[in-house]
Amino acid sequence: VTVTERYTSAHVDDISPAGTWIPIRRHFDIQAFGVNLWRGDAGDEVIGEHDETSLEHEELYFVVEGHAEFTVGGDSLDAPRGTFVFVRDPRLRRKAVAKEPGTSVLAIGAKAGEAYTPSQWEASAVAFPYFSSGEYERAKEVLAEAHRLQPEHGGVAYNLACAEARLGETEAAIEHLRVALERQPELAELAKTDEDLESIRDDPRFPT
Amino acid sequence: VSGYATATLDDLERLPVDPGEGLMWRPVRRHFGIRAFGANAYTAEKAGDRVVEDHSEATNKHEELYFVASGRATFTVDGDEVDAPAGTFVFVQPDTRRGAVAEEAGTTILVMGGRAGAPFQTSSWEASFAAFAYQRLGDTERALATMREGYEREPDNWAANYNYACMLALHGRRDEALEKLARAVEGNAEAAELARGDEDFASVQDDPRFGEIVG
Repeated sequence: VTVTERYTSAHVDDISPAGTWIPIRRHFDIQAFGVNLWRGDAGDEVIGEHDETSLEHEELYFVVEGHAEFTVGGDSLDAPRGTFVFVRDPRLRRKAVAKEPGTSVLAIGAKAGEAYTPSQWEASAVAFPYFSSGEYERAKEVLAEAHRLQPEHGGVAYNLACAEARLGETEAAIEHLRVALERQPELAELAKTDEDLESIRDDPRFPT
Repeated sequence: VSGYATATLDDLERLPVDPGEGLMWRPVRRHFGIRAFGANAYTAEKAGDRVVEDHSEATNKHEELYFVASGRATFTVDGDEVDAPAGTFVFVQPDTRRGAVAEEAGTTILVMGGRAGAPFQTSSWEASFAAFAYQRLGDTERALATMREGYEREPDNWAANYNYACMLALHGRRDEALEKLARAVEGNAEAAELARGDEDFASVQDDPRFGEIVG
């Protein structure tokens, strides 16, 4: 897909998922707003618990299929198919759990008053299913490519370091962790306890 | 303003924006007061109804993503026909013409939009679409109030003046209608030609000032 194309269409089943995530914005290369679809079975967290304090996005969720239970700011919200949940306040913690098989939730987000820029978590999120399945070599490949394209993103460098640490590639892991903490010093806190970094934590060069 | 809000599709208003073609607008952004991106839904009551107006986004340069939430539609995009069963996304660049007709009763399409590289601004069509729909539904006070609200956000926009003039004329508020119409024509000469053929001005057509404004 390129932005010079006049239009593109695809059925949701034809867009490659990454675990529960169906990367809609990435698929179409949308530049004006964030949009993703999350699909899971009963009990799955289809919207992982998070807030939007770093990006300050307003978020609109729409339950496309199935039935979900949202928790927003501590309130439980029953959300059958056809329900919209709009979260204006970026500080509110929110998540959604599927109550039926094949539950899917569309999420749209952007920051009011600012031009949209694609979120850096997307680049990392492609690799998350590989971490879950233990395919660290594939996770490393995806993250190395993302890091090459977006060297300014601390989160991507951090996740690349995690994959390399899992693979026992100590030198590379330490170097990427150093870059990550330089870009995003608050990641140091996570690095102290992150299981993925266990193999390099005792190394004297481990950055803090 | 509360931090979050919920609604179901059924809770959203059903506003007839083009009764001739059956286009039924379900305002999502307006309902929630979303400020960061555009979001709307359209529902077809029966097969053959229009679910996406035939248009381009050449003026406000919005990228638009359509999602068929239920039913089935046929899109016409850039002259191509695209079969779009439930679950289909269609992403359209601003200058491309697009529209869709429902193949099944109850087809609902979600539309998300925004301009790449620029902060989102609420489209001026929303207020006038809503106001004319309320007028058709007989809620005339709300129609006038909604139109005034839209006009007050953009008092220098010729289209906002024109639409407000239409609404004022429908309400028999002759002097104000003519004043807004004059401002619309000042802003864009094409408004004069539009007004000459616009039934909304029936109540003021016999006024000599109308002739002076529209030529």
